[in-house]
Amino acid sequence: MNRTITIDPVTRIEGHARVFLNLAEDGSLESAGLIVNELRGFERILVGMEADRMPLITARICGVCPSAHHLAACKALDAAAGVEPPPAAKLLRELLYMGHFIHSHALSLFVLQGPDLVLGLDADPAVRNIVGLVAANPEVAKKALRLRSVGQKINELVGGRGIHPVTGVAGGIAFQLDTEKRGMLTAWADEALVLVQELAPVAKSLLMKQLETHQSLLTDWSHPSHYMGTMQNGRPNFYDGLLRVLDPAGKTVREFPTADYDTILTESVVDYSYMKQVMLRADGQEHAYRVGTLARINCADAMATPLADGELTAFRAAFGHPCHATVMHIYARLIELIYACERAREIMNSPDLGGETRVPVKFTAGRGVGHVEAPRGTLIHDYEIDDQGIVRAANLIVATQHNYLSINRSIMQAAQSHVVGKDDDGLLNAVEFAIRCYDPCLSCATHALGRMPLDVEVRQGGLLIRRVRR
Amino acid sequence: METAKIKLNTEWLSDCGGCHVAVVDLHEKILDVLGAVEIQHCPVLTDIKEYPKADLGLISGAIRSEHDRECAEKMRSSCTHVVAFGTCAVYGGIPGAGIVHTREEIFDTVYVNNRTTRTHKPPLRSVTKLEKLVTPIDEVIDVDLYLPGCPPHPAFILDALLALIEGRPARAKKESICARCKRRMTKSEVAHIKANHDGVPETDTCFLSQGYICLGSVTLDRCTAPCPNNGVMCTGCAGPTMRVLTEPNRDIRTEIADRMSNLTAIPRPDIIASMERSSKTHYSYAMASKMIGAKPTFLIKKWIAEVEEQQ
Repeated sequence: MNRTITIDPVTRIEGHARVFLNLAEDGSLESAGLIVNELRGFERILVGMEADRMPLITARICGVCPSAHHLAACKALDAAAGVEPPPAAKLLRELLYMGHFIHSHALSLFVLQGPDLVLGLDADPAVRNIVGLVAANPEVAKKALRLRSVGQKINELVGGRGIHPVTGVAGGIAFQLDTEKRGMLTAWADEALVLVQELAPVAKSLLMKQLETHQSLLTDWSHPSHYMGTMQNGRPNFYDGLLRVLDPAGKTVREFPTADYDTILTESVVDYSYMKQVMLRADGQEHAYRVGTLARINCADAMATPLADGELTAFRAAFGHPCHATVMHIYARLIELIYACERAREIMNSPDLGGETRVPVKFTAGRGVGHVEAPRGTLIHDYEIDDQGIVRAANLIVATQHNYLSINRSIMQAAQSHVVGKDDDGLLNAVEFAIRCYDPCLSCATHALGRMPLDVEVRQGGLLIRRVRR
Repeated sequence: METAKIKLNTEWLSDCGGCHVAVVDLHEKILDVLGAVEIQHCPVLTDIKEYPKADLGLISGAIRSEHDRECAEKMRSSCTHVVAFGTCAVYGGIPGAGIVHTREEIFDTVYVNNRTTRTHKPPLRSVTKLEKLVTPIDEVIDVDLYLPGCPPHPAFILDALLALIEGRPARAKKESICARCKRRMTKSEVAHIKANHDGVPETDTCFLSQGYICLGSVTLDRCTAPCPNNGVMCTGCAGPTMRVLTEPNRDIRTEIADRMSNLTAIPRPDIIASMERSSKTHYSYAMASKMIGAKPTFLIKKWIAEVEEQQ
């Protein structure tokens, strides 16, 4: 008779989520997956609303990456109205977004995965959290938290507020930068660039140490797949560009504008979950693929800023190209964090920053598709808008959805290499770590002080035979 | 022995997680709060799955599924004081706008007739059933303190937490967004309502004077007014003012129509008609609340159906 192990709740992805592991009679793994247990129905709720409210309303999809939804919505509206925002508006939107990336990546790296790295995967769960991290290395922890704060402050000053920004509108940005705000932003961008250069070597050496201790992270958890990310001239760009698809051998097999997404990506319902999975069409076949930090780094020819590009070169020299090791989402996140800090500083130097920020728009009946790279991967908004400016249909594909097939596969791998035949604590750590590598929306900011709560039930023939909690 | 800390439980239901992130945005001030409380059940910070007895409970999010309802009830029975934390908990918020659709309509849009989805049936196994309606938490459990805001500005969160910790009333005023808005109301000859995207609004004058519908005057300030001060009309995310909530014959649209028709040359009935046509937009954050939904003249399903039929 089969056994089922349930881990509940693992984390929140738009709500409560849990993991199940089905074991066969001989203890071998049969199936495993992540169950997403909440649906709010945004694609229906948005229909009938005024289109120009989309940047505000859709931010409420996610309190962790509201800036991504805010900007994807702005870009979809620009496309629907057929307008091009002025250069200053594009720069301000991108600056807002660099602030968001600094906040999100710093949090993910240092607060969520920091405890795993500093204290080790085998550390006592009671101290393996941010409080333990602060105790072990107070100077690093303080700088890391400050970097997150500075990012959020940039996001807030440009966006009007940090969580659920408000200034992005169809056709641009609703305010113009004055000297005072410009001064504050420049100071924060300077500070971020200094902090990230102090933190990067520390994060790198901690990661290397864990890789030496746990070599299976590189061997057993390698996961060849297709990758997708947004590139401008072959360099990752979070705000705008073409979507590039890489095959597992590292060859670029597609490059397409967002508007074509519906001919290339196909969603399907996962019977046990409110979240849909997505597949990608390339070379006449359908593939599972990954988005997010590692995907973007793998798709890149180079990084657009010098320090990040140097780091990419070092990464490739050490781990090859493309790199399929799931754990390298962490290293990739570090490269992107450096890029975001450099890019924010670069934007502050731009002579175009002070100009007009908004062009008037008029909606004629039509459709607009817009996308950005959210910290966790490609985010697509698609609206049909009537001539009164009312949304008539909406379609959204969020980052974690693209990764869903791969997350489930990584859970299988983690379970296989660390679980089967080993004690339950090893199981919990491994599954948790595998999921966190994807930083699925809400393995997030809000797990700031601790580890994910896990509850494992071992069932045999429907009967509870064992339960592990922490 | 140190002084006993206030025991705190928190829970999130159907929401975006933003209210809990807003607590992190207290930045260095979070240490004051952490010094005074002992965090127990809190799905984002600790691994305590049970609901231990607590002095204080924060609940964010509305009730969308049976699971949400159960969690709210467990919070009530474990906590001496319960705070409805954020607009979703207080009024339903954006998830609350789901009340105007049946579950079948929602499933149809998301899973059955969706542009990029090739399967044509909703998930059936392992997921918790959605309830028929979306419910603000005070229709299910008693609430001791309401803290709306989407999310509430960290200053208001700190005020509310310190008030409960120190056993004093909250200092937050019950003012509208206008109290913090730097724009000036002026009498104008504007004769037609403008859509948000008509032209580029002038930066110093009240949006209503310019013919744009801004909900600032009917919305409680729990945000410090970032929208109008950055060129964007208020959309009412912190929910209505006490005046709108408590008087049966006052409503978001009638209040705006009174004020705007005084400031401009736009006839009052035109404003009412326009807001009813865009009711899903203007009532998006608060429509699930009985304080709005039970008003005798509030006919949102009819207004929305009329717009959808035009299609």
